[in-house]
Amino acid sequence: MNLFHTKYLVFLILVLFAAFLPMYIGEYWQYVLTIAFFYAILAASWNLLSGYTGLFSLGHHSFGMIGAYTSTLLMTKAGIPFWMSIPAGILLTMLMSSLMGIMCLRVSGLYLALITWAFAEVARNYFRLHYTFTGGDRGLESPLLFGTIQPTPYYYLFLGLLIATIILIVLIMRSRIGYYLKAIRDDSIAARSMGVNIVRYKIFAFAVSSGLAGMAGAFYGHSIGLISPIMGDFNEMAMIIIFVVIGGIRTMPGPVIGAIAVRILMELLRAQSEVRILILSLLVIIIMRFFNGGLLELYRQIKQWINKDKNGGTSAYHEIETPKQGES
Amino acid sequence: MNNKNNILEMDNVVKIFGGLKANNGVSFEVEKGEIRGLIGPNGSGKTTLINQITGIYDTTEGHIRYKGKKINGLQPDVIAAMGIMRTFQVARVFLNMTVLENMLIPAFTQGQSNNEANTRAEELLDFALLSRLKNKPTKSLSGGQFMLLQIVRGFMRKGLELYVMDEPFAGVHQSIKGIIIKSIKMMNQDKNVTFLIVSHEMATISSLCSKVTVLDKGARIAEGSMKEVANIPEVIDAYLGG
Amino acid sequence: MDLHLFSQFLISGLIMGVLYCLMSMGINFIYGIMKVINWSMGEFFMIGAFIQYLLLESFIGAEYWYIGVIISACAVFVLGALVQVILIKPMFVGIIEAKMEYVTIITISLAIFLRNLALLIGGPYIYTPPDYAKPTQLLTLPLSGNRLVAFIGALVLLGLFYFFIKKSWTGKAFQGVAQNRAGVQTSGVNVLRYDMLAFGLGTALAGAGGALMAPIFSVHPLCGLAPTIRGFEIIVIAGLGSIPGILVAGLLLGFAESLGSAFISPSFVDIYGFILLVIVLSIKPYGMFGKAERTV
Repeated sequence: MNLFHTKYLVFLILVLFAAFLPMYIGEYWQYVLTIAFFYAILAASWNLLSGYTGLFSLGHHSFGMIGAYTSTLLMTKAGIPFWMSIPAGILLTMLMSSLMGIMCLRVSGLYLALITWAFAEVARNYFRLHYTFTGGDRGLESPLLFGTIQPTPYYYLFLGLLIATIILIVLIMRSRIGYYLKAIRDDSIAARSMGVNIVRYKIFAFAVSSGLAGMAGAFYGHSIGLISPIMGDFNEMAMIIIFVVIGGIRTMPGPVIGAIAVRILMELLRAQSEVRILILSLLVIIIMRFFNGGLLELYRQIKQWINKDKNGGTSAYHEIETPKQGES
Repeated sequence: MNNKNNILEMDNVVKIFGGLKANNGVSFEVEKGEIRGLIGPNGSGKTTLINQITGIYDTTEGHIRYKGKKINGLQPDVIAAMGIMRTFQVARVFLNMTVLENMLIPAFTQGQSNNEANTRAEELLDFALLSRLKNKPTKSLSGGQFMLLQIVRGFMRKGLELYVMDEPFAGVHQSIKGIIIKSIKMMNQDKNVTFLIVSHEMATISSLCSKVTVLDKGARIAEGSMKEVANIPEVIDAYLGG
Repeated sequence: MDLHLFSQFLISGLIMGVLYCLMSMGINFIYGIMKVINWSMGEFFMIGAFIQYLLLESFIGAEYWYIGVIISACAVFVLGALVQVILIKPMFVGIIEAKMEYVTIITISLAIFLRNLALLIGGPYIYTPPDYAKPTQLLTLPLSGNRLVAFIGALVLLGLFYFFIKKSWTGKAFQGVAQNRAGVQTSGVNVLRYDMLAFGLGTALAGAGGALMAPIFSVHPLCGLAPTIRGFEIIVIAGLGSIPGILVAGLLLGFAESLGSAFISPSFVDIYGFILLVIVLSIKPYGMFGKAERTV
């Protein structure tokens, strides 16, 4: 239970640190971090769906794009105010992904990956095709939420959204629903046989994770001022995967740390654009091949190696062979 | 056929997979409180039958009735909610959860409170001599322990009435087998849980089950006590014949 | 729209369709054997194209382009086999969970790695090898020599591939691995070795495609992207695991793209395939010849 408190303490310290940071860093880095927070939300929500629940989606990024376009178009074409257009964007992404989830209930993980990939490509091309309405490849201007191009309010907006996302995901994973999601990933047949309603919880995973992505996307549009179908480009999905794997898939801090750290690194290495992505992709390959848990797993393994002598190994077999007193 | 004492009725169950007829009109009844054995050579359709009872497949033809109500075609989680639990031939446990968390799942889906579920889990793990492992990741357990965990996990359900087990003793260490047998007997005597056990272990089935149903080539060929059934020529043929 | 122009587009669609099939065949073949999808197929296509370009420019000259295709394919085969052994096989030895997640992440990362490596080495330039054949005519219709040659080449490769799988002993062994991985081992088939061969062969098909299409699409680090997209589109339209379906879907895709370009607009070529995809999936959600796999 000590560990429980330590994690919360660390989280709190990080939040405070992030809250005071804008006073010390210039506008440029506030902007960089705002976008990093955006990606962190995408990464954490993808981890919920594909990491914890095991529903490997290659279309998560497109919900960010759909959220952005929905909210922006409602505002610019239908005159709907922020406080309605953004929730509308979120609801639409939740609805669409739930439908996709229903469609994919009985298919293999591989097919799910293909279908989500196809969905993302179709969505991206849809926004490209209807260029008179959506601006197409040239992008679409989006009204700014705070009416200013100062990055600071948007920094706090996204920091707040990220914190809310993290809290929501933690609450879910610590609840019974979290158990069910993990059970679905581990063995959905066994889960079902133990009474888990996998239909309900798979759709839940789709809806919540995509809703978070849609939320991030909608706010992103109104923070940056310009959205384009590039948001739905497959490269974005690849980056999300990279963030999560480097940080540690199926952990809570992993995706967030991965996204922020990698985004900062990419910014620092701006000049060497191919090299930086070369290193990142190579890093992911090495991590997957040798350390299936990302940076956090490495840390865990180091800790284990240090503690190796304390436990005498898990010969649980002994438990069974020597029955307790009084047992037959 | 419509005996009120029957907890499970297989009514002419036929199951066809593409070109393969796995069950060819199987009919039998299991009475409440029985420990019934389901035996037969490999490929006789036992597992397929189990899978239809527990909702993994629907029957191609025929019905399965539980307490008089048709259950074939229902989803596994609905069937679980009705008081039926099952184990798998190759143990299906949640490898990336702890042993305790495995136990909690069927309790949670039933709506048991955290307290209730945890207490029950600790009791069962204690009984199964797995207590020391309760917070260990399940993947660190041995094969026999997987089976044991699978089995006691099912006992977490309150109001468990029918427990269907597919080869619970296969490849399991003698001492674990002992615990399994003990738990079956205990649940049967104290809570009147009915058991339908598929197994190849004749000696164990013989001592555990009052009655066995014998399948061969997708059909039921005999039924009775182990002793009766062992002397029937068709049964001997089924096991020894080509 | 006169018949003349229309036929031109039909032929163009036919040719492109068959060319894309080469890619899909490779993807589907690997899937059939290893039950995983290699998301970096496009990069093997690109590597094949680059090797072909280098060969033609620096070593064997333009007239021997067909030898270049063979060499490129073999080189990519070796590369593919190496990749499989180093990166993918370890997940298949013994029982390891979540293979799909692993292979997907690794092949996607590999794709990005190879693409950027090519950018780093070759620079963001486009290289075009000399024509394989002069422009010709089919009856009265003008036809690009390169496309005709690539078309024939693709047909030859697909035909060879078909005969190999159906008639040769190795081919039958592949069929065995695809149909019953556990069972076939009792006949002495080393499935792990066949995994490696399958991966090599699948990527070789993509590499050969790249070599064949080099003069048509030009050679550059991102030249694998479009074929990849087409390749996967075909698989979704056809349904996973259906080989004849790939030919049908490939042709449909080719026609969709060329007719779309003809009647609607040539600037959104990518989109027509997806329109076809949406139409097909709304009628048959698992692809034309696919079926829902019951995973409960």
